[in-house]
Amino acid sequence: MKERDDEEVLRHIQPLAPIAASNSFRERVMKAIAEERARENSRTARGWKSWPRWVTIGCAAGLILLLLPMLRVGGGPEKSSGAALLAQSVQAMSKAQTVHILGRIRTLAGDNFELIGAEYDFVPIEIWREYSNPPRWRVEKPGRVVVMNGQTSTMYMERSNSAVNGTPNAGFIEWLRPMLDPQSILESELMAARKGAAQVSLSESNGVIVAAVSRQAQGNFANDWARNKSIAQSDHRCVYRFDSASKRLEGLQVAIAVAGKETVVAEFTDFRYNETLAESLYVLQLPADVVWITDTPSKSAPANLNGPRDAAVFFFNACASEDWDAVLQVRSETSVPMGIKQTYGGLQVIAIGEAFQSGLYPGYFVPYQVRLKDGYVKSYKIAIRNDNPEQRWVVDGGI
Amino acid sequence: MTAAATWQIESWPQTIGEFERLVEATQDELVQFAFYRLGNRADAEDAVQDVYVQAFRDRDKRRNVTEVRPYLFRMVRNRCTDVLRARSRKPAGPADQATGAEDTLADMLAREEAGEFARLLDRIPEREAEVIRLRAWSELSFAEVAVVVGAAVPTVKSRFRYGIDKLRRLLNLEGGMPR
Repeated sequence: MKERDDEEVLRHIQPLAPIAASNSFRERVMKAIAEERARENSRTARGWKSWPRWVTIGCAAGLILLLLPMLRVGGGPEKSSGAALLAQSVQAMSKAQTVHILGRIRTLAGDNFELIGAEYDFVPIEIWREYSNPPRWRVEKPGRVVVMNGQTSTMYMERSNSAVNGTPNAGFIEWLRPMLDPQSILESELMAARKGAAQVSLSESNGVIVAAVSRQAQGNFANDWARNKSIAQSDHRCVYRFDSASKRLEGLQVAIAVAGKETVVAEFTDFRYNETLAESLYVLQLPADVVWITDTPSKSAPANLNGPRDAAVFFFNACASEDWDAVLQVRSETSVPMGIKQTYGGLQVIAIGEAFQSGLYPGYFVPYQVRLKDGYVKSYKIAIRNDNPEQRWVVDGGI
Repeated sequence: MTAAATWQIESWPQTIGEFERLVEATQDELVQFAFYRLGNRADAEDAVQDVYVQAFRDRDKRRNVTEVRPYLFRMVRNRCTDVLRARSRKPAGPADQATGAEDTLADMLAREEAGEFARLLDRIPEREAEVIRLRAWSELSFAEVAVVVGAAVPTVKSRFRYGIDKLRRLLNLEGGMPR
């Protein structure tokens, strides 16, 4: 009896809904720990100390006043606020053990998960997520799969028979990352609205709560090359559907606006909660001859590369002479994939243009025109970046 | 009971991989504890991050610590005390120090709760409030709370009892029972 009374008192100071670390928290902590280790190494070497400082206090005055008028859910006999929906959604999702999501995206099979385009056909995509400790997930589309087994994530690219390992939060699945945490989607969208980065509207009808979120394209479009090549680089609208009763996410449709015309580029219509997921989903069976991609090239840097255009010239010249060791000087792979050797070996360079930047890509694009061995003339833009620890120029895509 | 609470950490982690597992297993409960102590997410996550980095820095020194989870709570508790002490020394700025730019909508609701909890707990002796906080905001047993506050288990239980009785009286006075 006494204990029951105690519990009753305790309830007055117990949180109604759990507070969890933010999505990026673990990544930030592990980065800080890695930096601490680097400092230790440095101290060992140089015998001096330095200490990190953390100053991140900000201001969110008037937040509720700003948000609540924007977040009314209308249309039903009982109106509730967006804040209440958010709290209920978070609570509903906290009971989920797994989610299995099926959808389709307009993209090229085998290309990166970021690429979308109104002109492409739909390809299927499937996501499995286990809310275990540590969490595990798998994301797969034709030609490309990413598995996070709780410790590391690994992406396999069938076309090039190559694979890359990364941390659990490595950016292999790019814009799809929020889909792994449906309970955080609404929260982050509302936050974006607060910051003025998105416009959000909520409505409710026939047992479905609909949140529509519109955003402008992000990035530098002095050159338009990257515009509309990813969701973030497009003017787009995401429409989320939450089940009114369970408050769980049940659907998502993403449309981009190109030349005034809206085209659906992604839709997820099947959310299966608490399915039993097979252990085999978290084991990636790789071919014995898989080519591993590393952070920086395994070979020494070429001399006299004065920028992305030089790197592009070096790469194509190396392909032309089938000097695969030289290719590896500007590629982050342990060996050159057979597909690249077969396609680009012996090519003839017709023209290489000037490098430019576009959209959100942290590197450069370099226009090129080459004649392949079979006579086909290919004109495209090669993507080259040097935002790696050694600031090496690396051919990143566009071939 | 959360997965984190059931995960037994046998010894102080020594490698980056072991720390990553430790962070994964304990981040939510530590951030929650710090959030309700400090009142906003930015400060809470900074405090917990500092603790993890300190835990990593001291890994060799703490090699023989077996009560890892309560020890982490102890570090977070101490770190929160430092932050609160520093806040009390600073003049109030144009921005309310109990708000954070990183706060989400759910955080705002939680922050209101945290304000209510603080208002109640500030009215009882700190050593009793401390035990009650640890029992209310984490899933620590009395034995683990004893490790956190550095007192014997019977002492912790007494503090809890006295504190709860005082809270009950306060709630009755305010007409706050039952919730």
